[in-house]
Amino acid sequence: MVDPMGAGLVAIASAIAVGATGIAAAMGEQMIGSAAIGVMAEDEGFFGKGLVMTVIPESIVIFGLVVALILLFVTLPALG
Amino acid sequence: MFEPQPMRKVIIAGSKDYMKIAIDAMHKHDVVHITDFVDEDEDFKIGKPHESITKLSERAVSLRSLASYLSIKGKVDIPNKYPEGAIIDTIDAKTEQLDVEVTQVTDKISEIDSKIKDINDKKRLLEPLKNFDLPLELYTGYQSLAVFVGTLKNSPIISDITDDYELETAPYGRGRTISLFVPREFEGETLKRLQEQGYAALPLPKMEGVPKEILVNLEAQLAELQSEKQKCEGDLVDLRKKHIEYILASDEYLSIETQKAEAPLRFATTKNAFIVEGWIPTKDLGLIQSDLDRATNGHVVVSVDSSEAVDVEKVPIALKNPLPSKPLEVLVRAFSLPKYNEIDPTKLMTFMYPALFGLMLGDVGYGLLVIALGLLVSRVIKSQGMRDLAKIGVYAGVFSVIFGFIFNEFFGVEPFGHRGYLTFIEYPTVTRLDNVLTLLIVTLVIGLLMLTLGYVLGFINEYRQHGLKHAVFAKVSWLMMLWGGTIAVALVLPAMSSGTGIQLSLGLIAGLVLLVVGFIFMFMGEGAIGIAELPSLLSNVLSYTRLLSIGVSSMGIALAVNKLSDALFFSKGGIFVIFGVLLLIAGHAINTVLGILDSGLQALRLHYVEFFTKFYSGGGMKYIPFGFERKYTEEK
Repeated sequence: MVDPMGAGLVAIASAIAVGATGIAAAMGEQMIGSAAIGVMAEDEGFFGKGLVMTVIPESIVIFGLVVALILLFVTLPALG
Repeated sequence: MFEPQPMRKVIIAGSKDYMKIAIDAMHKHDVVHITDFVDEDEDFKIGKPHESITKLSERAVSLRSLASYLSIKGKVDIPNKYPEGAIIDTIDAKTEQLDVEVTQVTDKISEIDSKIKDINDKKRLLEPLKNFDLPLELYTGYQSLAVFVGTLKNSPIISDITDDYELETAPYGRGRTISLFVPREFEGETLKRLQEQGYAALPLPKMEGVPKEILVNLEAQLAELQSEKQKCEGDLVDLRKKHIEYILASDEYLSIETQKAEAPLRFATTKNAFIVEGWIPTKDLGLIQSDLDRATNGHVVVSVDSSEAVDVEKVPIALKNPLPSKPLEVLVRAFSLPKYNEIDPTKLMTFMYPALFGLMLGDVGYGLLVIALGLLVSRVIKSQGMRDLAKIGVYAGVFSVIFGFIFNEFFGVEPFGHRGYLTFIEYPTVTRLDNVLTLLIVTLVIGLLMLTLGYVLGFINEYRQHGLKHAVFAKVSWLMMLWGGTIAVALVLPAMSSGTGIQLSLGLIAGLVLLVVGFIFMFMGEGAIGIAELPSLLSNVLSYTRLLSIGVSSMGIALAVNKLSDALFFSKGGIFVIFGVLLLIAGHAINTVLGILDSGLQALRLHYVEFFTKFYSGGGMKYIPFGFERKYTEEK
């Protein structure tokens, strides 16, 4: 039987991992995105490059997601 | 095998008398990439455009104005190509005649338009008066009477000024229109009263008759004009249908002729000769040499510049890939064209990009949807770039289906096996939620392998461009650190997490030696700046974990959609089933779009940011041959 308190803490930890990194990624994407829109106003052809540039900070939230996955699927079963 | 099209630098030179013939021949073959001549000096001048250029531009202007009247815009599919010979002789006369025909109609249309506007103006003036039966001419021309026609919020009260008045009112908009006749001596006082109540005078149209009747009359005129205009517009459509092929073909013909007439602006010329510097794909060299020779009777020579010191930056790049890899070129071009002596990664991406995409999406249902969408777009859309992307989508969809079978996913549910719907089909599957740790390690291994490939390709590029020593310091060093670090971490991490002490095994020593030697090489090659780059090695490998996490999150959304529609609607039965189906469709549609966008962009990012940076710098110049891709005309 998994300790409910421990399981809850693990769930909260994974939520923080995704949530906080999500905010961080959003802050990065916001800056890059607005710059990319600015460039696109000058040159429409930048759309593809701008899109790729904009998703670069997404790494942060993906690392958060990986941490959450490990917490939920590796750490949590190990508790019980 | 992985290089761009081989190119040869050529000098095409000859007598100016044969310049036009040479230009025609070069244009026809569409293979010579001309390097613009810019350094004028006393002997060599930039050539002058052919004298026909003025005439050509005049024709082009009148033709394009015709095209815009007939709303002919580029990219129209026409079944038959127009023979060029039929244009050359008749273009002037025919364009002029067409101009007359079209102008007749357009002039008539603008005349009708101005009449319609006139009538509408009158209608606007008459509209407020339509409820008064007094003919218009009776509102003016009195000596003893003052007339007020206008709008007001309410009926005015002027009985305290005089009893001797005639007032008619009618509702109009939110207020009323009035016509008020008073003796001239009360004019000032009445006006003041009216203005206090928000009176605004209406301009009286200079017409005769009862407003209501005039309006009916005007309406009839308007209908007639409108039908006349419709007829004219029909005429324009007929003209368009009749002449579209000719107009598109002549426009193309004029563009081609203009291009040819302007070509000398890119040549170096002396008093009697012209010289063109350019690049030709090696495979086309023989053909153009013999053809120019024949066309000009040997008066123009194509000579190959075989000097060794070719500046690779200046060679134009034409990618050379087999047909299945062609669509992927769009992704390479979007990053940057390779330099002439650089490896073109298109062929590698043909497999790797769809594989990474499929690994992320990894769902039979979504995969089939992506394939269907890809096939649809590549049939329907005309833009070449979109078609290429759609074809890549088909490849990616195929891999998604394959991984979907491995992960046992169909729109987020397990289709096969004892937990699934089709229990009779049972095969070893790797469900993502049950194998997070294993799959995480698999993604890291994929990352390791891709980075290794990147460094190997980088080694080849560096070796070609700067020699062996540089290649070892710049690429082998990183490769050693990558694998040394991996071995060390793989041995130390399990020992640390399980609590047993770290054993100094042979493998660990080998890993650490690799790490240290690699570091020394790197330091010798790149100096202290290299140290700043070190953390990126770790983050590059970890970056590949997105292959799992993107997939799991897309699966999570699918799961949520299924669970929600089940709990909210399907479990209740009856009419709710319809809502359940709607929710399923909407949810999975959104998730498909998200899945395509996210998997597509993240797979691209893994190539651009993690993979390409190990070997690819790009910066090649696009190969633009002198010629024209004919769509509407046939060569004579």
